[in-house]
Amino acid sequence: MQKENILELRNITKTFGDFVAVDSVDFELQAGEIHAILGENGAGKSTLMNLIYGLYQPSDGRIYVTDREGWRRRLRAKSPRDAIVSGIGMVHQHFMLVESLTVAENIALSLGQVRRGSAGNPSENGAYKKALGKFRFKKEDAIHITEALSEQFGLTVDPGALVRTLSVGLKQRVEILKALAVDARILILDEPTAVLSPQEVEGFFTILRKLQADGRAIIFISHKMKEVLNISDRITVLRRGKKVYLGPTGELTARGLAREMIGEEINEVERSVWVGLPNPYESDPPDSVLQLSNLTVLGSRNEIAVSDISMATRRGEIVGIAGVDGNGQRELAEAIMGLRHSESGTVNILGTDPKGTKAVRQRGVGYIPEDRQTTGVIASFSVTENLLLNVTHLENTARWNVLNQRRKQNTAEQLIADYDIRPPIGGIPAAALSGGNQQKIVLAREISLHPDLLIAVNPTRGLDVNAARYVHENLLAQRNQSKSVLLISTELDEVLLLSDRLFVMSRGKLIEATAQRNDIEALGLLMTGQTHKDFGGNGC
Amino acid sequence: MLKVTNLFKRINVHWVVTPVLILASAFVTNAVIMLLCNYNPLEAYQAAVSGAFGNSRKFGETLVKSTPFLMTGLSVAMAFRCGIWNIGAEGQFLMGALAATWFGTKLAPLFPETPWIAVPICLGLAMLAGGIWGLIPAILKVTRGVNEVISTIMLNYVALHLVSMMIDGGPLQETAQRGPQSDRIAEWVFLPRLFPPHRVHLGIVIAVVLAIILTFILFRTAFGYQLRAVGEGSAAAEAAGISIMHNTLRVFFISGALAGLGGAIELTALTRRLFLNFSPGYGYTAIAVALLAKLNPLVTVAAALLFGALSTGSYSMQRTVGISDKVTFVMQATILLFVIGYSSVQLFRKRTSSHSE
Repeated sequence: MQKENILELRNITKTFGDFVAVDSVDFELQAGEIHAILGENGAGKSTLMNLIYGLYQPSDGRIYVTDREGWRRRLRAKSPRDAIVSGIGMVHQHFMLVESLTVAENIALSLGQVRRGSAGNPSENGAYKKALGKFRFKKEDAIHITEALSEQFGLTVDPGALVRTLSVGLKQRVEILKALAVDARILILDEPTAVLSPQEVEGFFTILRKLQADGRAIIFISHKMKEVLNISDRITVLRRGKKVYLGPTGELTARGLAREMIGEEINEVERSVWVGLPNPYESDPPDSVLQLSNLTVLGSRNEIAVSDISMATRRGEIVGIAGVDGNGQRELAEAIMGLRHSESGTVNILGTDPKGTKAVRQRGVGYIPEDRQTTGVIASFSVTENLLLNVTHLENTARWNVLNQRRKQNTAEQLIADYDIRPPIGGIPAAALSGGNQQKIVLAREISLHPDLLIAVNPTRGLDVNAARYVHENLLAQRNQSKSVLLISTELDEVLLLSDRLFVMSRGKLIEATAQRNDIEALGLLMTGQTHKDFGGNGC
Repeated sequence: MLKVTNLFKRINVHWVVTPVLILASAFVTNAVIMLLCNYNPLEAYQAAVSGAFGNSRKFGETLVKSTPFLMTGLSVAMAFRCGIWNIGAEGQFLMGALAATWFGTKLAPLFPETPWIAVPICLGLAMLAGGIWGLIPAILKVTRGVNEVISTIMLNYVALHLVSMMIDGGPLQETAQRGPQSDRIAEWVFLPRLFPPHRVHLGIVIAVVLAIILTFILFRTAFGYQLRAVGEGSAAAEAAGISIMHNTLRVFFISGALAGLGGAIELTALTRRLFLNFSPGYGYTAIAVALLAKLNPLVTVAAALLFGALSTGSYSMQRTVGISDKVTFVMQATILLFVIGYSSVQLFRKRTSSHSE
C-alpha cells in the first residue's frame, strides 16, 4: 500500500566551496517506515542528515515535512530547534547528553529548548511544558515525564540516575527518550548499533519496531549490512553525494548493495588466503611476545576496570579481544602501553618489564589507539609532523636532537605514498583530513616500523569498507611477518575475521572463546557477562 | 582539496591581518578617547612615532625598553607552547634580578675587575634562580596536580615580598641604609653598553639571539617537537611515548630561566641596583606580548618592539602634547584588551574548528 510521505527532499544539493557533498538528492520518508541509508564514509549521509536536522542549510532544493495536522509545508530549518519543532529528532553517533545531569534533567533540557523555540508546544501533554520553566526547574515534573515516557515506549531507565553512570546502551535510550519527549515523529539514528552488543541490538530493534508500530518514521544509518537488511523496509544508497539506489529491502543482496555503495565489486579480505600462507617463523613452543599475569587496572573513577587478567600473545598470530564498549578494553590497552598505572600484576613484553610509555615504545610496540582524534593524531600538527609522532620515529629522525629536515620530508613522502594518504600533501594540518585518512596516518606511523607487538583498538571504527579492508590487510601482513598483533575491537565481525585466537572481554574479565568462534549466540552471551560456568548475579 | 587550500589561506591571512586589526582597532579607540579628552589624536600619534623612532637615540631607547618585554615574552611563549599557563614570569623576572643583585653586591669582589668571568656567572646565576622559581609550580603540578595558573600567580607575590624583604631592612639593603634599595652592583658586573653614551646594551643582542635559538629549538629539534606536541595534544603525545612530566619540568625551568635572565639584564645593564617596583609588571604584559606574537619566538621580537615603542611613544606624548600619563595608561590598557580579545577569539575558533570533521 502507498503510505503518505512524512518527509520529502526535492533536489537537495549542498556544496562546501567547490566541493559538492550532496548532489541533487531526492528522498522520501513514509510514515511508519524504517528507511536505511547506506553509503561509504564521505558519501554524504551525515551531510544529508544534518541538512534535515537543520545543522546545515541546503545550497539548493527544498525540504517538505507533513506536520501533525497533516499539512505539507516547506521546512526551512535554520537550526536543530526548527527541525525539532517540526517533529524531527536525531540520535547522534556521539551522544549529546549532559553527563553530569540526571536522566530526567537531560530530558527536561530538551523539552525546555522546544518550549522556548516554538509558538505551540508539539507535545499534547500539558504537563511536559512545566518541567523547565523560564526561571525554574521542576524536578518532580521532570521525573514524572521521564517515567511516563519510559513506560509508554518500554524504554526502562532510572530517571534519577546520573547520565555519567549509565552504560552506553542506556545512554542511547535516554537519547531516544529525549527525541520522544518532544514528540519527534521522524527519528534520525546515526550508527545506533555501533555501541551495542548483539543482544542489545536485538532489544534495540524491538524498540524500533514498537516506534514504527506507533506510526513514527525512522531513518536508520548504518555500515552494517546485516542489520540494515534485518530491520529496514526500504534502502537508499548514496555514493559520492548522489543517490544511486532506492528500493525495498530484500531486492538486492548484501553483495549487491555493497556494489552500489562502492561502485565496483568489492573483495573482502579472504582470511583463508592469508592464513594459509606458511609462517616460517612459527616456533614450537611459540615465544610469547606479550605476557600479562594477573593484571588488574583501575578505571578513571577508581573502579576495577581490568580484573585479574592473564594471557599471552605469540609471534605470527593475531589475538582478538571482542566485547561491548566500556568493558575495560580501553584500560587494558592503556595499561599495556604504560599509559595507565597497573594496580597489580605484570605486563611483560619480550621478556622485559618496561616502565613508562617511552620504554614500552622502545621495546618495539606499536599502538593504534581507540580515539584517533585526541590520541592518534594531533589535529593542529601537519601530516608530516603527525607521521613523526612516535619516539622511535623521532629518534630515527634526529641527530644531536636536531631533526633532519630532509629525512623527515622523505619519510613523510614515502609513507604518504605507501599508505595512500589523501590529499598527498605533508604540509596541511591533520584536521583537514577525513577520518579515514587520519587513521591512515596512524597506521603508517605505527606499522611502518614493523613493531614486534601491535596493539590495535577499534582500528576500523568509522572507516568505509575499502579503508577497513586496507587496515585488515595491514594487520594480517604484520601477522605473516611473524609479528604479534593484539586486536581489541567492538566489531565482532572484524575480530572473527582476523583473529587466530579469540577472547571476549566483559566487565574487566577476559574469557578465551576461540572454541565458540562459530557460535554467535554463545559469543553474545559471553559479551553480556555470562561465563561458561555463569557466575550469575549480573542481570543487566 | 579545495577546502584544504581555503584553510591554508585562512591561516596565512590571519597571521598578517590579526596584528594589523588589533593595532588599527586600538588606535581608532584611542583616538576617540583622546578626542573626548580634548587632545588632537593626530598630533599625539605623530609625537608618539617621533618619540619612539624619531632618531637613533630615540630608537635606541625604544630598543632598551623592549628588552624586558622580549625576555619575559619569550618566557611566556615557551611555556604556553607546551600548554603550560605560566603566569609567573613576573616573579621569575624578580628572582633573576635578586640573584644578580646578590652576586653583583656580595660575590663580585671574588672576581675583581674581570667582567668576562663575572658577567656570565651573574647572568647564569640569575637564570638558575628564575629556573628554580619556575620549578616550584612545575613540581607542584606534576606531583600534586596543582593548577599552575594559581601557583605561579601566588609565587609572583612571594617573589615580590621576598625582594622587598631583602632590600628593605634585609641583607641586601644598601650600606647607607637610607631607603629600600640595594647597593649599586660592582662595575665589572655591568652589562656593556654598545654605543655609549647611548643606553643601548648587549642585553638586546642576547635577547634577539635567544629568540632565534628558541625558534630553532621549537621547530627544528626533537625537544621542541615534543614540547609542542604536549602543548597541542597531550593525550596523543603521551601515547607516542613523550613524557608529559619531563616536558612540564623542562619547559617550566626554561621559561623561568628566560624571565630570570631578563631580570638580570635589566638590572646589570640599566638600573644597576635593585629597588621596590623594579618591574612595572613586565611579566604580566609579557602574556600580551607572547599572544600577540602567536607564541612564535621570532615574532615576539616584533611584538616586544611594539610594546617598547608604546612605552617611549607615550612618554613623548606626555611631554610634547601634554597628554596626562593617566590617558596614556588607558591607551596601553586598550591595546592590551584588544590583543587579548583577538587572541581569545582565535583560540576559540581553533578549538571549535578542530572538533568538526
